[in-house]
Amino acid sequence: MLETVAQAVINGLLIGGIYALVSIGVTLIFGVVKIVNFAQGEFVMIGMYITFFLFSTFGIDPLLALFVSMPVLFVLGALIQHFLIRRVLGPNDMPQIFLTFALSLLLLNLSLLLFSANYRTVHTSYSDEAFHFGGLYVPEAKLIAFVVAMALSAALWVFLHATDLGKAMRAASQKPDVAILMGINPNRVFAVAFGAALALAGAAGSLLMPFYSAYPFVGQVFVLMAFVAVVLGTLGNVIGALVASLMMGVAESLGIQFVGADSGLIVVFAMLLLTLAFKPNGLGGGRVR
Amino acid sequence: MKDNKKSVIASKSRRKFLKNAGAAVAAASFGAVPMRGWAADPVNIGALYPTTGSMAQIGVGCVAAAKMAVEMINEAGGIKSLGGAKLNLVISDVQSDTTVTRTETDRLITSNKLSAIHGCFASALTLIASEVCERAKVPIITGSSSDQLNKGRTYTFTPFARASQFAKAQLQMSKLVSDQPKVAVIFENTAFGTSTSNGLKELAPGEGVEIVMFEPYSAGFTDASPLINKVKASGANALFSVSYLNDLILIVRTVKQVGLNIAINGGSGGFVIPDFYKNVGKLAEGLQGVAHWNHDMDDNAQKVNVEYKKRTGDFLFEYAGGLVAQTYMIADALERAGSADPQKVRDALSALDVSSGFAAMAPGGKVKFGPDGKNVYGRPVGVQWQNADLASIFPKEDARAPMLKT
Repeated sequence: MLETVAQAVINGLLIGGIYALVSIGVTLIFGVVKIVNFAQGEFVMIGMYITFFLFSTFGIDPLLALFVSMPVLFVLGALIQHFLIRRVLGPNDMPQIFLTFALSLLLLNLSLLLFSANYRTVHTSYSDEAFHFGGLYVPEAKLIAFVVAMALSAALWVFLHATDLGKAMRAASQKPDVAILMGINPNRVFAVAFGAALALAGAAGSLLMPFYSAYPFVGQVFVLMAFVAVVLGTLGNVIGALVASLMMGVAESLGIQFVGADSGLIVVFAMLLLTLAFKPNGLGGGRVR
Repeated sequence: MKDNKKSVIASKSRRKFLKNAGAAVAAASFGAVPMRGWAADPVNIGALYPTTGSMAQIGVGCVAAAKMAVEMINEAGGIKSLGGAKLNLVISDVQSDTTVTRTETDRLITSNKLSAIHGCFASALTLIASEVCERAKVPIITGSSSDQLNKGRTYTFTPFARASQFAKAQLQMSKLVSDQPKVAVIFENTAFGTSTSNGLKELAPGEGVEIVMFEPYSAGFTDASPLINKVKASGANALFSVSYLNDLILIVRTVKQVGLNIAINGGSGGFVIPDFYKNVGKLAEGLQGVAHWNHDMDDNAQKVNVEYKKRTGDFLFEYAGGLVAQTYMIADALERAGSADPQKVRDALSALDVSSGFAAMAPGGKVKFGPDGKNVYGRPVGVQWQNADLASIFPKEDARAPMLKT
């Protein structure tokens, strides 16, 4: 029994690491640029396809593909912010919602057209292997994904707190007007934030590829969890999103184990409802960091 | 600019002329058909398959097989009782969509003079196409397995095993693995998953198979580990997974990672196509499934498999292979009917009784339709992935390779 619980917790934490990469991206964009990016899942999908084609064409390991998918998506993000998002920023939320939603639909259908609905899988030496400890096991590919995801989250936190650009980003998010008076160019800061968020989505794509299949709708699977994590961990709060993602992974896994295999999400949403009932601003306690 | 355009048209029609002339010369010099005044009118056969959308992969393979079968029949002299009439395949894309299937079937029938139709791979689509065909009184022959297709229909013919027979065969196969099979059934919580797994549950007691776990899961999950954790805790020695490709890939990989020693039976559909092996690789070795057709059944099946492999690079999978046999069944009916009239073709199909040749390529090697359009000899064949290929291993009389112990 204890072993079953321990295994369920391990499984939950490992998949929670992937949820974290997606949700941190969403929360970063929300915190800094103040928009909800509905297309975040599609950027995970793009990251997966980049990784898949690098592997199938050049034999590049998905972990090395990280160094391609992240910069490519960073540049893509900065361009999208500069040419699209910047134009709809303003007091009205509706154009922003429509823009990112349209972007999601466009990318979905474009990938259907270009890549077809087929599943694409990558086989690495570590794809199907696992470390065993007593009766427990930790899949290698997922452990690698978890460790890299945590390292990237930590790197983002250090960037936000220890670098001038990071501090400028937080300043622009807290008081844009004052930030401009202090000589901060909000457009530049927003572009970097959007780029960084998409780079994280790209990283999630590359890290997923050794153990998950790429297909045009794959982003939708992860973005739902990401939105729940973002709300649960307080909108705009990076640490909150990280902690909430890990909690959700564990809740889902325990739910499947002890409630029913089609009830994993029920447990997650029950957790969300309870949290919001008692802490309406999420676990971060309303402090946006 | 105008001149340019003109010259393009001119060169196009010149090319067309040369092509036509070439064809005429070729026809005159080889002359496979004895010239008796006019060459016989071609016989139109409709083919309804999803070549775009979510089922496109299998649909495209079906179309390749359908074309190959028609070429084989035409090269052998066409329909002799119709003066060597050639078969002409009229292909229509039903786009993996039920609404499109209805309109496309209608359009195909009204805008062409069809003698028969085959399609559509997915049961959900075939049920609709069959309704349209019944109303228009055009015979349709299909490899789809839904038992629903044999209810209240007179123009629908199903030469291969039915869904209920698949479930039975799957349960019997679990006894190959253990004398006391303890089966865990996991299925996606959709119409397909629920109906298939309920069939397994109903038949299990009669087959003496114990089901120790019966669990629906959310289709398209992110992680199979918790589910497999549960299977492990159930103490099952056989696992039936009623899933589409993506979930099945995750399940197979996770079973390996857990180090769980369990015999997996993936059923049919997406499990018995070359793409499954491409995605899962060596982990697929030893996995079992059920099919209504397999390419190692007899010499004829092997022959068409070789030809298909030459054309597409992949082995001839279940549905596409059955389709070649279906095309020969239509040809056999046309031959006996001596007419391209759909009503006469239907009557000839209902009297079909073959036990040799390409039309008899089915597990058991015999095809004869009962009043419900069901092949009275129809039965599924149990298959196993061996060396990147599917080998028939069950039942004994259909086994072409020994079972690989896993």
